Amino acid sequence: MKKVTFIDAITQALDEEMERDKRVFLIGEDIGIYGGVFKATKGLLDKYGAERVIDSPISEVYIAGGSVGAAMVGLRPVPEIQFADFITPSMDQIIQQMAKMRYRTGGQWTCPMTVRVCCGADIGGGLYHSQTNEQWFFSQPGLIVVMPATPYDAKGLLKSAIRGDDPVIYYEHKRLYRWIKEEIPDDDFTVPIGKAALRNKGDNITIVTYGLMYHRSLEAVKGLEKEGISVDLIDLRTLLPWDREMVFESVKKTSKVVLVQESPKTGGVMAEISAAITEEIFDYLDAPVTRVCGLDVPVVPFAPPMEHFFLPNAEKITKAVKEVLEY
Amino acid sequence: MPAKKQAEKPTLKQIGLPQETLLGLYTNLLKTRMLDERFRKLFRQGRFAGTYFSAVGQEATTVGPTYGLRDEDIIAPSHREIGANVTKGVPLEKIVAQVYARINSPDKGKSHPCHYGWRPKGIITPASTVAGQTIIGTGCAMGFQIQKKDNVVLAFFGEGSTSRGGWHEALNYAGIHKLPVVYICQNNLWAESVPSTLQAGIKDFSDRSKAYGFPGVAIDGNDVIEVHKTAVKAIKRARTGEGPTLIECKTYRWYGHSDIDPADYRTKEELEEWKKKDPIARAEKLLMSLKILTTHKREALVEQIGKEIDEAVNICENEKYAEPEEAYNDVYSEQFPVRRYEDQEVSS
Repeated sequence: MKKVTFIDAITQALDEEMERDKRVFLIGEDIGIYGGVFKATKGLLDKYGAERVIDSPISEVYIAGGSVGAAMVGLRPVPEIQFADFITPSMDQIIQQMAKMRYRTGGQWTCPMTVRVCCGADIGGGLYHSQTNEQWFFSQPGLIVVMPATPYDAKGLLKSAIRGDDPVIYYEHKRLYRWIKEEIPDDDFTVPIGKAALRNKGDNITIVTYGLMYHRSLEAVKGLEKEGISVDLIDLRTLLPWDREMVFESVKKTSKVVLVQESPKTGGVMAEISAAITEEIFDYLDAPVTRVCGLDVPVVPFAPPMEHFFLPNAEKITKAVKEVLEY
Repeated sequence: MPAKKQAEKPTLKQIGLPQETLLGLYTNLLKTRMLDERFRKLFRQGRFAGTYFSAVGQEATTVGPTYGLRDEDIIAPSHREIGANVTKGVPLEKIVAQVYARINSPDKGKSHPCHYGWRPKGIITPASTVAGQTIIGTGCAMGFQIQKKDNVVLAFFGEGSTSRGGWHEALNYAGIHKLPVVYICQNNLWAESVPSTLQAGIKDFSDRSKAYGFPGVAIDGNDVIEVHKTAVKAIKRARTGEGPTLIECKTYRWYGHSDIDPADYRTKEELEEWKKKDPIARAEKLLMSLKILTTHKREALVEQIGKEIDEAVNICENEKYAEPEEAYNDVYSEQFPVRRYEDQEVSS
């Protein structure tokens, strides 16, 4: 067991998968000579060479679309989109080709690949270096969408994504890169896609969340426990397909639920989970399903007071939990 | 005068291709034309749904480059590459089934008529997004380069595709890494209703390759011999690691963008001029002059191909559609079955 940061866990996963499987290669902007703008791919160019660690031109269309083609002829591409904010040029390739390839060809052609996307706010990144936009891909069947919250999951989910036969969008929150450290096993391990993690057990209420918001929720849970409120805290880890079983089981037990996400409220992941709960297990509810989300504004604003105003935090989550409990 | 006469009636030596290749090219042209015309007829008779995108008039641009490729070589097509499918040896039944959207279709009826694709022959089922397969086809070539395989990719697209950003990103990348890909631009003068003069400020679309550091050449796309020979050279270049080539084939589609388009945006005179340059009639005339083809042999070929088409159409006419629930399949690998909402009960 070694204590590693979130970003080290990602580097380890890439390194170990490249070592294990010659079909795995990386492509993206600044990932080779520079080792990535956050150093996620540091040292990999020297170890694996320029054919497997490709410094691409500034071409997000090609990074995504070219990877689809390479996957179709038997490789396991792991393209990197440097910031989630810059994924929009790739959308055509991700939505029209990557997500639909298996379906539209009747299963003849597939593209097992993992698009790493660096995302998230709370680092003062400004308008175009702070976005989370998993909701765009969450509504596209054919894709797997994951967003780990811990170093263990970052490593295990990335390995599962690379080894699996489906196209994955892998969101890594940049606020977690060097903030979160965790002891993880030295041995090879994976984290299954589609399974959430129950991080805290409680009876009074359920919180469902993912990514950075898991840590904000955990902070809230610790405070609530001091007040005698016990919480089932679920970290989804995989957003598409989300772990319906674990969420429903917990909500059936607690009858109250708060859903927390960093992205804007309207049309987000939690909108779907809220709808599913009310549609399928309505009778178990003792209070309205409640969401704590980013603001319904176009993007995360830059000035620190505005950025913090945009984001959910432990205080906002605690307030929502109490309101639901008092309902 | 004698020079012109010689050009009209070149000798086999001047052509520089074996008789077998010439006959092979012609047979595939004829088969493509006959199948295409049959599809148009079947569509007008209401025998299949959706619409139909005819490639009549531009067959040489697909048959010429595809002839002689290996099964492992990839075709990255657009929606008018019926000739590439025929020439690469996709069974006629599979091509017809694609149009009929029946259960025996390679895509099980999920995509669209004219989205011909068949994995065993390395043909990617096209998406309708313009230049889509140019980009992923370039990715296939990147894959071959990483795998150190000497397979090549043929990417087909119209001149309109070259206006898209992704097309440029792909060619730029291919130029940097000298990828084993040959780009075939079928300049048929019209991108749906928009003339090529409103598509770009250059006359030859092949000029675009200059920006990416590899050769581009504009040729007569209705001369199957020229198309084939140019492509063979480019394919060899690609296979031996020398990098891509952009071949612009000047050609013309005789019918509308799809078979519900009367194509009234262009003049009758223009169409008639191009019909005089019919790639099949030209190949036929050449082969007859070389005595490789006779009227009798041609008739036998027409009869044989007609029979093959009849058989394929007959199979598909009698084939079923996939069950509606097939809609749930091929979303993910078996690891992730799709939720079936009709099984869901209302919470009570």
